[in-house]
Amino acid sequence: MDKNSIFYDPSLKRRHFKSKLFKYFTLSSLVVSLLFLGIFLLDMVLKGSSAVQQTYIQVEVSYNQESIDNYRSIVDKKYLNLLSRAALREVPEQMQANPSLMNTKEVVWILADDQVDMYMKKYYYKIGEKDLSTLEELQKNGMVDKKFNTIFFTHGDSKTPEYSGILSAFIGTILTLAVTMLVAFPIGVATAVYLEEFSKQNWWSEFLEININNLAAIPSILFGLLGLAIYINLFGLPRSSALVGGLTLALMTLPIIVVSSRAALRSVPASIRQAGYALGLTKVQVVKDHVIPLAFPGIMTGNIIGLAHAMGETAPLIIVGMIAFIPDSPSSVMEAATVMPAQLFTWAGMPERAYIERTAAGILVLLSVLISLNSLAVYLRKKFEVKW
Amino acid sequence: MATFETKNKHAHLQEDIIKYLLILAAAISILTTFGILFSILFEAIEFFKLKSFVYFFTGTEWTPGVENSQFGALPIFAGTFMITAIAMAVALPIGLGSAIYMSEYATPNARNVLKPLLEILAGIPTVVYGFFAAITVAPFIVKISAAVGIEASFNSALASGVVMGIMIIPYISSLSDDVITAVPDSLRKGSLALGMTKAETIKDIVIPSAMPGIISATLLGISKALGETMIVVMAAGLRPNLSWNILEDMTTVTVRIVDALTGDQAFNSPATLSAFALGLALFVVTLILNIVSVRLIQKFKEKYKMSSL
Amino acid sequence: MAKNKVKIEVKDLNLWYGDKHALHGLNIELYKNKITALIGPSGCGKSTFLRCLNRMNDLITSVRVEGEVVIDGKNIYDKDVDEVSVRKRIGMVFQQPNPFPKSIYENVAYAPLKHGIVKKGSSCDELVEQSLRSAGIWNEVKDILKEPGTGLSGGQQQRLCIARTIAVKPDVILMDEPTSALDPISTEKIEALMLELKKEYTIITVTHNMQQAARIADMTAFFHLGDLIEYDETEKIFINPAQKKTEDYITGRFG
Repeated sequence: MDKNSIFYDPSLKRRHFKSKLFKYFTLSSLVVSLLFLGIFLLDMVLKGSSAVQQTYIQVEVSYNQESIDNYRSIVDKKYLNLLSRAALREVPEQMQANPSLMNTKEVVWILADDQVDMYMKKYYYKIGEKDLSTLEELQKNGMVDKKFNTIFFTHGDSKTPEYSGILSAFIGTILTLAVTMLVAFPIGVATAVYLEEFSKQNWWSEFLEININNLAAIPSILFGLLGLAIYINLFGLPRSSALVGGLTLALMTLPIIVVSSRAALRSVPASIRQAGYALGLTKVQVVKDHVIPLAFPGIMTGNIIGLAHAMGETAPLIIVGMIAFIPDSPSSVMEAATVMPAQLFTWAGMPERAYIERTAAGILVLLSVLISLNSLAVYLRKKFEVKW
Repeated sequence: MATFETKNKHAHLQEDIIKYLLILAAAISILTTFGILFSILFEAIEFFKLKSFVYFFTGTEWTPGVENSQFGALPIFAGTFMITAIAMAVALPIGLGSAIYMSEYATPNARNVLKPLLEILAGIPTVVYGFFAAITVAPFIVKISAAVGIEASFNSALASGVVMGIMIIPYISSLSDDVITAVPDSLRKGSLALGMTKAETIKDIVIPSAMPGIISATLLGISKALGETMIVVMAAGLRPNLSWNILEDMTTVTVRIVDALTGDQAFNSPATLSAFALGLALFVVTLILNIVSVRLIQKFKEKYKMSSL
Repeated sequence: MAKNKVKIEVKDLNLWYGDKHALHGLNIELYKNKITALIGPSGCGKSTFLRCLNRMNDLITSVRVEGEVVIDGKNIYDKDVDEVSVRKRIGMVFQQPNPFPKSIYENVAYAPLKHGIVKKGSSCDELVEQSLRSAGIWNEVKDILKEPGTGLSGGQQQRLCIARTIAVKPDVILMDEPTSALDPISTEKIEALMLELKKEYTIITVTHNMQQAARIADMTAFFHLGDLIEYDETEKIFINPAQKKTEDYITGRFG
């Protein structure tokens, strides 16, 4: 360009370069955050996908009195170390349930030991030399195979990794969250209705508002301290129970429900309320019959998001003892229970490789549930979204 | 002639009952806050009856569960501070950078996709982050360090700090994005019309205008980092360690709380009660951070007359 | 008017917002050291045209511009022209006063420092004072230079924005309805200022206010639906317009 032109400005080159650099910095931070998400999800899938299958071994089983007395004599001794003890222990029960099996022999698929499973999945394994040669021979004869891991979804926790599953934690989660929502939903919505529809602008409503705001920012672990000090020590509710866990989570979920329900109530236009008053309805009638039904989809969306939030919470539940070893699903909210994230925490701390695989698989299950819940919330919001 | 009903006493009473029930529900949130405060406060007082208050904040020896146990929490606070600092060093530039890209450079359509995608990071349970930190990131750091000839702990502060930073990114980016978007366009135009480049406009005009909101987001992030439990329980150490080396293991307030309350010590032993003293410190600090943060965002809203964020 | 020196020559300027053809082949010559008022009903394209003169329309992605805007012999839409340098030379004042949330001093000093016109220190202080004096606001703010610019009244804010613009030492100042958000007294001050400023600068202003155009403009251009209907000396436009449409608009028959 002509150097005499008033638009000639050589210093701009450097400034434009810096401007570009800045843009690339911001773009790369975004890419890095999304990359983190990608790496993280990929890592979980890679670590968890092998848990979809489990190794089984085809062996001859003898059903007789000796087997009932001692499960170790069910199969040939040389296979004993390759098979899951927990699975073998179940065989006598099958015999008792089905006496016609007595004194017969049968070739069946029996769950393999976790080390055999690790061997089959080409992870690090610890198998004695003798057992290894037996295993290799079995493998040559096609007697070793991987099948879909049903145990993971149908059993609770177990001290033998190959026999442990997520079911009891899943049931525990449902019980705990049922308590949470039974408490948090009515209180949360009532608080929102009060703040939005009834309270006047004064020190009390302001105090309430600040309070709810602060409640949302309190670290979750401190709710655990409250649960421990008040529910367990003061009220004497059973430690580790879904009741205590649910009540603790309810207080944590409360602010989320209040905030989103208020937003839903606020989105109902004033004209609806005025129309109600003009018909001679009282305030309670207007709110109950007109405002709340219109705000309901929004309130539900907020509750689902709160529920998803509570579902992923672990720290306060550890404090109230919900990390106990729970092999069987709890049947009431007073029994000791564990929840999915707490189960994952316990497994993650185990030394056996098979538990790591299960933790990652459990994470995938938990994330799927959470994503479904959040999608449901988004769907509800879209479907019932009303433009006033 | 029109007739007006006299006030129906029964209906009036019903209205009042419903109203008071609603007030009662609202009061539960206040009860909870005070419940937390007092349940922690009372047990903390019990603790300080047994052990020195001054030594708790200034001492460097933390030896619970032994004869003549010592409770100097300084190394625990230091560890918490280090891990929080690492987390913010990761989360602040990346979160703010992402927010700037989304609000200033991305098209509205791209922003509508990117923002929820980033918020997935906030929806991931912390126990999952903890697993990721302990099983994937920490061994990776050990390997890298070994490759350059440095020794790193499997419970390094770096591993839990970095993963915690990832977790906090969406908290920073989401709020920052909101406030940056709320900066009036007229300011950008004013700057561009003076012959400023886009980046100069963003750095010199937009970001300073959004500063109260960005600081608020940062404080919220710090508060999240201080109170985060699962990541550090799973990936950081248990050993109170007063050190500047982020490759060493360190412990945090939350780790020691969990450790004290999952042990088999009697409830009224100083070892267990120490959890409440640590909890009190955590409560006070996060409460202050939150109050300041809310004040700042309110100021920002008033400045640009926003109804809601 | 032979002595009028052409500062800006617009040749066959077309502009589209997406598919919408908003400016239809405009041709106009704008003169140096004059105030040119652009008038016309809302949506007539006068503000769009104004933004073409400093390439502010480039910021809107859907906008497409064809034609030439030649300023001092250089078409600003030429490939080798940097739009940032255009905006540096062609200043702009907006409808709503938009001081930066910085101190009064920084509001004025920011752009000159970035452009390297002055260095920090006494030369910068001088430029700030000179610009604020030129904008007729020095006496009001000289003791509060450290206070935020957003704390001033609307009229003061607008004069601060003018000071900010002239601190960059532009050739042309574009004003997009600079007084429409202000009270009558502030408006009067800005108008007086514009008359003062035209001695040094070429001023193009958009206005809704016909009396204002009549009061301050040397030249007036009437726009209607993306066409330049009439362009002449202000007196001629207001007293004896050549076009029926112009007369209708000026006499208030539509607007």
